[in-house]
Amino acid sequence: MTLVDFPAIAISAAACWGLGSLLQIPARKLKPASIASWLLMFGGTGLLIWFLASYWIALERPPLRTLGETRLWYATLIPIVGFLVEYRWSIRWLKYYCMGLAALFLGINLMHPDVFQKALMPALQSVWFIPHVVVYLVAYVLLAASSVAGWHNLWLRFRSKSTPVSESMSHYLALLGFVLLTFGLVFGALWAKEAWGHYWTWDPKETWAFISWLAYLGYLHLVARKTNVTTLQWYLGLAFLVLLVCWFGVNYLPSAQNSVHTYSG
Amino acid sequence: MPSITKSTNTVGAPEGFREAALFTVGSIVAGFAIELLTGGSGISIPGWPANFLFLAAFATVIAVTGLGMRNHPAVAWLGGIPVGLSLIIGLALLSLIGGVLPQDPAPAGSIVARLRLNGVFSGWPFAFVALLFLFNLGLSLIWKAIPFRPANLQFILFHGGFWLALSCGLLGSSDLQRLVIPLYEGKESDVAYEMPSERPIRLPYAIYLKDFQIDEYVPQFALYDPSADRVIEEKSRMVPEVRKGALAVWTGIASATVVDFMPDALPGKDGNPVLAEGRKGVPFARIRVEVAGQPPVEHWINGGGPEINPQFFPVGNYFIVIASGPPKAFRSHVMLRGNDGQRRIETLEVNKPVDFMGWKLYQMGYDEKAGKWSTMSLVEAVNDPWLPAVYLGFFMIMGGNLLYFWKGVKKMEAV
Ligand code: HEM
Repeated sequence: MTLVDFPAIAISAAACWGLGSLLQIPARKLKPASIASWLLMFGGTGLLIWFLASYWIALERPPLRTLGETRLWYATLIPIVGFLVEYRWSIRWLKYYCMGLAALFLGINLMHPDVFQKALMPALQSVWFIPHVVVYLVAYVLLAASSVAGWHNLWLRFRSKSTPVSESMSHYLALLGFVLLTFGLVFGALWAKEAWGHYWTWDPKETWAFISWLAYLGYLHLVARKTNVTTLQWYLGLAFLVLLVCWFGVNYLPSAQNSVHTYSG
Repeated sequence: MPSITKSTNTVGAPEGFREAALFTVGSIVAGFAIELLTGGSGISIPGWPANFLFLAAFATVIAVTGLGMRNHPAVAWLGGIPVGLSLIIGLALLSLIGGVLPQDPAPAGSIVARLRLNGVFSGWPFAFVALLFLFNLGLSLIWKAIPFRPANLQFILFHGGFWLALSCGLLGSSDLQRLVIPLYEGKESDVAYEMPSERPIRLPYAIYLKDFQIDEYVPQFALYDPSADRVIEEKSRMVPEVRKGALAVWTGIASATVVDFMPDALPGKDGNPVLAEGRKGVPFARIRVEVAGQPPVEHWINGGGPEINPQFFPVGNYFIVIASGPPKAFRSHVMLRGNDGQRRIETLEVNKPVDFMGWKLYQMGYDEKAGKWSTMSLVEAVNDPWLPAVYLGFFMIMGGNLLYFWKGVKKMEAV
C-alpha cells in the first residue's frame, strides 16, 4: 500500500476509534456493546498496523525517515499505551486522550501529505537506524501519555477526585519513558560515532535531545526530593513541550541551518 | 509508590533550594563576566597529559572532601539534590542558548560574540556549571559507593557512567583529532588537513585511492515549471521512478509512460542512445507523452552529465526532465600503507569506518558537482584517545538504566 491509500485508512481508523468510544457508553451495562466497542477500537489500531507493514514493504525501507512517517508510528502506538494502562491499572480515561492525540496526528498527516520517496541516504543505512529511532519513538509515546495523564491528574485534583493510582501511573509512564530516552540518546551517540566520526558534536538536534533528557532527569530528582504531587503533575504536563520542540521544532530554529539531522524533516 | 503521594519535604539533607539556585546563577554570571572581560575567547582545554592530571586531581579533591567532610553541612549541601537540580536546570538553560542560536562564527564585537553565545559549549559559563555538576555528582556517587551496598549498584552505574562520560568527553576534547584527507583516483596521499583552519598535517600512514564508486537510486523524472522554478507534484504523490512501464500523471497537464529505459548509456549517432561500455554514461528514457486532445508522441530524454548535453521534452510551458537518483551508497577502494611497513586493502564506506594504526577512517564525501563521475574522495581520519573511557561511561549508563527499568517495573507491580 502507498500513500494513495492513506486518506481512506486514516479516516477509517479515526472512525473506528470514535465509534468504539461512543459504544463505551452503553458498554457498562450491555456486554455485546462492550465487545463491539473493543473490537472497533482495536480494529482502528489494527488498520494502522496493517498500513504501516504494507507501506514498509512498498517503500523497501523502514518508514522512519520523515516527520510524517514518525507521526504515523506515533498514531499507531499511542492508543496501545492507553489500552495497556486500562488493562494494567483499570484506568479508563487515558485511552480516549490517546486515541484523540493519535487522530490529531493522522489529521496533520492528511493536511501535510508526504511524497512517496524510497531513497534512504547512506548515513541512515545502518544497523543503528531501527533501534535508535524505535526506542525514541516509544519513549516519546510513553512521555506523551505521561503528560496527558499529568494534565488529567491536575483536573482531578482541582475537583478533589485524584487517586494515588492515577498519580503513580503518570509517574511510571514518565519513568519508563526516561529509561528509553536514555537508551535512545546513547544509541544515537554510538551511531553518530560510526556514521559521522564523533559521538557528540552539539548539533542542534543533539542539543535538544540533551535538553529533553535533562528535563526528565530534573523530574526524577524532584521525585527523589519528595516534591509535592501537584507540582510534579504540572512538571510532567509541561515537560512534553520540550520534547515537541526537539521533535518538530528544531527544524525551524535559527540554529538548525547547518544541522546534519535536517533530513529527518 | 507511596513517596510520590506524600507532599512533605522530609529527607535529612538541608533544604537549601534557594541557596542552590543562587549558587548556580552566580556561577553562570561569573562565567559570562569572564567572557566579557576576555572578549568571548572561551576556554581552551589543555591537551594530554595536563587534562588527565587535572581530572585526577579533581577526582581526588572530590573523594577527599566527600569522605573526610561528609557531615559538614556545606558539603552535604554541595552533594545534595537541590544543588544537583539547580545545576541540571542551569545546564539545560545554557544548552537552550546553544540549541536556539547558531553556533557559528559571529561578527567580532557583537554582543553574541562577546558573551560567546555562538560557542556556548566551549565557554566559561558552561565550563563552570559542568565542573560544579561533576562535583555534585561525584560527591553523591562517593557517598553511595562507600560503603558499598548491592542495592546502590543502579545508582553507582548510572551516576558513575554519567560522570565518566561527561568528564572524559569534555576534558578529552582537546586530544580529539578530526582531519580531512582528500584522495584522488590513482594517487597516494599522506597529508591531512585540520578543519576549518586547513592546516596541513603529515600522517604516519598513506592512503592510495584505487577506485571511487557511487551507487545511485533509480533515476526520477519530473515535470518542471521554469517560470516558477519548481517541480509540479504528480497526482499520486509519488516521486516518479524511471523504469520500463512506469506511468506518471500530472493532472490536467500531461501524462508520461516509460517505453524504454537504459540506466547507463551515451548518445549515439542517429539520436538513439547506445549502452555505455566501460565509460560512465547517463540514464536515458524513452517516454510516451500524452496531452489531452493531441496524439501521443515518443521521445528520448536524458539527464546529462559532464560530457553529455541533457535532453528535455517540452510540454506547453513545462519540461519533462530526468535526473539521476539520489546517491544510495558511495565507497572508496583504498590501500593503506603505514610507515611501519604494514599494508592493507580496505573499502571505506559510510557507516563502515575502518581502524588503522589507532585511527578510524571514514568515507566522508566526494566531489558532488561531478556526482558519479567524481574521481575525488574525501576521507576523514579521527583519533580520539579518550574514547574507551567515554564508552565505558556509556555502557555503565545503559547497565544502570536496565536495573532502573527492572526496579521500576517491580515497584510498579506493587501498586
Ligand atoms: C546527570 C546528572 C546527575 C546528577 C548531577 C545527579 C545528582 C544527584 C544527586 C546529587 C543526588 C542525591 C544523592 C543523595 O542525596 O543521596 C541524586 C539522587 C538520585 N539520582 Fe541523580 N544525578 C544525575 C543523574 C541521574 C540519573 C540519570 C538518574 C536516573 C536514573 C538519577 C537518579 C537518581 C535517583 C533515583 C536519586 C535518589 C537516590 C536516592 O535518594 O536513593 N540521577 N542525583
